[in-house]
Amino acid sequence: MGEERVIGQPRPIRDAASKVTGRKAYVGDMSLPGMLVGKLLLSDRPHARVLSVDTSEARTMPGVHAVVTWEDCPDVRYNSAQRMIDAQVPLTERVLAREVRHVGDRVAAVAAETEEQAMAALRAIRVTYEDLPAVLSIDEALAPGAEPVHGTSNVVGVLEKGDKDIEAHLAACPHVVSGSFSTPPIHQGAIETHCAMANWSEEGKLTVITPCQNSFAYRVILAQIFGLPLNRVRVVVPAIGGGFGGKLEMTIEPVAALLSRKARRPVKMVLSRKETIMATRVRHGSQSRVRMGVDDQGKLLAIDVDCETNTGAYAGSAFNVAGALLENPFQLYKAPYVHVRVRPVYTNTVPGGAMRGYGGPEVYFATECMVDRAARAIGADPVEFRRENIIAPDSLNEEGVPRGNPRPADCLERASELIRYEEERRAKKPGDDGGRFAWGIGVAVGSHGNNCHGVHRDVASPMIKMNEDGSAVLYTGSHEMGNDTLGTQAAIVSEVTGVPLDQVGIVASDTDTVLWHIGDYASRGTFVICAGVKRAAELMACELRREAAPLLGCDSSEVVLRDGRAMRGDGVPEVTLREVMIHCQAVTGRELCVHVTYEAPRGVCSYGAHAALVRVDRQTGEVRVERYVAVHDVGHVLNPLMLEGQLEGGIAMGLGYALSEQVSFGPDGRPVQQTLGRCGMPRATDMPLDLRTDFVCADGGEPDGPWGAKALGESPVVPVAPCIANAVSDAIGVDIHDLPMDPARVLEAMGRGEES
Amino acid sequence: MEPSGMIPVTLTVNGRDYPLLVPRTERLLWTLRERLGLTGAKCGCGTNDCGACRVIVDGVARNSCVLLTRNMEGKSIETIEGLSDGLTLHPIQQAFIDAGAVQCGFCTPGMIMSAKALLDSNPDPTEEEVREAIKPNLCRCTGYVKIVEAVLLAARRMREADGENSAHAVAATGGVSA
Repeated sequence: MGEERVIGQPRPIRDAASKVTGRKAYVGDMSLPGMLVGKLLLSDRPHARVLSVDTSEARTMPGVHAVVTWEDCPDVRYNSAQRMIDAQVPLTERVLAREVRHVGDRVAAVAAETEEQAMAALRAIRVTYEDLPAVLSIDEALAPGAEPVHGTSNVVGVLEKGDKDIEAHLAACPHVVSGSFSTPPIHQGAIETHCAMANWSEEGKLTVITPCQNSFAYRVILAQIFGLPLNRVRVVVPAIGGGFGGKLEMTIEPVAALLSRKARRPVKMVLSRKETIMATRVRHGSQSRVRMGVDDQGKLLAIDVDCETNTGAYAGSAFNVAGALLENPFQLYKAPYVHVRVRPVYTNTVPGGAMRGYGGPEVYFATECMVDRAARAIGADPVEFRRENIIAPDSLNEEGVPRGNPRPADCLERASELIRYEEERRAKKPGDDGGRFAWGIGVAVGSHGNNCHGVHRDVASPMIKMNEDGSAVLYTGSHEMGNDTLGTQAAIVSEVTGVPLDQVGIVASDTDTVLWHIGDYASRGTFVICAGVKRAAELMACELRREAAPLLGCDSSEVVLRDGRAMRGDGVPEVTLREVMIHCQAVTGRELCVHVTYEAPRGVCSYGAHAALVRVDRQTGEVRVERYVAVHDVGHVLNPLMLEGQLEGGIAMGLGYALSEQVSFGPDGRPVQQTLGRCGMPRATDMPLDLRTDFVCADGGEPDGPWGAKALGESPVVPVAPCIANAVSDAIGVDIHDLPMDPARVLEAMGRGEES
Repeated sequence: MEPSGMIPVTLTVNGRDYPLLVPRTERLLWTLRERLGLTGAKCGCGTNDCGACRVIVDGVARNSCVLLTRNMEGKSIETIEGLSDGLTLHPIQQAFIDAGAVQCGFCTPGMIMSAKALLDSNPDPTEEEVREAIKPNLCRCTGYVKIVEAVLLAARRMREADGENSAHAVAATGGVSA
């Protein structure tokens, strides 16, 4: 480390100038000749059979070019979260529904010349429904005799991992604590609403332009729906105005395609915020029961987690999120006996999909709150208790595989230091004596995986070509979501090949021009994709050295590439990469283009420890975060500026989850929160004034990561809610079980405390 | 459909006049985006909640998604497209880049317009004043920390530049140039 010229330097995001000038073209800003406006008719009831859809009037209205209902759809059921062409996943969804399963389900759609015409036509569509019983919560869905949302049972499946004898192990523990927890669905809240453009060529090729996180998966599903070979479906992602998992699963794209096919015109659909909340995806809600067994010396012996996730109306991510959730309780503590069971459950609510953290924030809220209670059961300090039980570097995971270089213990130490844990724990605060304000301090630790090793294909396939002037182009499947994944990849190419950073171009996230890409989720960008790009860049560097060697009169192994030049080891003589490439083209007679298919050699985790100092208003129940600390283990830091920003953003998202965000459903199945203002997302004034972040890196970072780097990605969201909950519990002396900890709930908890 | 006679209105946007005929109910954001091709202002909500559509009207940052276009006659409207002359960036834009305040970028134009309205009226704001000024703007990527830093950085740079300009002005009138 330390030799790098580009890697490790603070760099703003690559397309920052386009974004600050407003010139970045997002999908909603684009248009095509003859383009029509597409609008959706959504179900206003949670569960009903569609008996008839009368479109006769709508079809004849001015400007209307196409009206589509289930009768226009190919008779294909699909899974909106399918990733691979050969994946075995439950197929429960249709482009337009014959049986609506949630308020916001797609019933019909219109394409017209103007938005007003499309809206008018929607109002003229008459739908006759036959209402069916609806289940609006996990408990209702699991009740005996509940109406099944699909098939015969509302349990999509049962995922289980770990020690089957957990009951016996718990029974043998001197101390056992238990608790029940719930977390709500929330809106992913990207500021860009869902949108898509679709166009069929006269030759029968479908092009979809959409801000999604998984272009190749969308291609697979669109090809299935419309019965096309993959060469006749192109998915292009020019820009994404925020993803956070909400744009990982396909939602409106096949509707736009259906409209375009019928109208024989390009169709653009831009959802309103209300539609994005009701008709796309939310974070899975969850409920869980956790038990932990501890010995007298403070050793955590057993963890049992039994959890249900609310997967809503369609299977989508049901198994993916539950599967990721399942792994988390094994990642942080040395407890010898761990058992987890997760059951995704159908309900007649907005489908649960992916959201940053992907099961982690849900389960860590429960387990990290329980760790505090386990510490309390034996009279131990929560930090000390974690210190004793947390995993160490060079240890083995539950399957006996080396964990690599996990540093949650270092994160915890640094976070305790930054929050001044020992001092603050002892300090008297105004109000401590029963006045209006109660003060509390809390910590929580979390983890998040970096890849899909052992679950399914876990590869990156970047390609690099050289231009004849010595500049280069990187072809990558990555979707830029704002974390500078593309800029980091370009920096890696520059670092390794010596092509100056401003001479590395990028072509990205276009299924016709880049090699197959697995999609951007699971925080894979650094540990897998960047490692793959580094490998490809090393291959290109070999080619450049080979071509430069005869010009320099030396062996290729002696050639150094730097600053757009190739030189002999001692710096003399040197040639420009332009000269190398002209020689390559004119004399050697070859073009330089390399690609790799890089597979991650193992699964790794990133870690973070958070600490918070909170003030609870006993009169109003309001929680104010006075100081917040987050320290993360991401191995070697590739770009400190963007990592800090990503961490701060994750904290904000976690604070919303902890304190204010939810999507709840009324008795009629409608989401109560239908505007951004009601979703509870934090604003600038909600952020703690005293916010301290740091990164730890020891012993070269993470083995197999590029320069020892691994993800930040999703991990910052994970520890926030339990950290705040533990601080609030510390303040008011009552345990917290449910999110969000809004004022009403905190008051309710305090009331509970007084009763007990 | 509501009665929608077209209304003539002349919009003044970034110093240019645009004579238009618009429906009575048309809101400024759609006029800017659909009629004038100024797509820097974004629609994140349409309900006055997120600030992605913020523009400056007569010196005040407003959400254009709830402003009726027909009420904008005679008012001076500034959008993100008016900030840069195409050669150099406005200091706030440059500070957003330098401070790492840009991620997905969808909230960025609106955020910058809130910042500009603040700094136009208050060249030396406190951190709390900056937070208050961008409170109407939702951002889901950054946690606002680097955005606040960017606005404070821009304010400092603009004050320094003003100081230098005054020094140059003194020099030009007979002082000694540095």
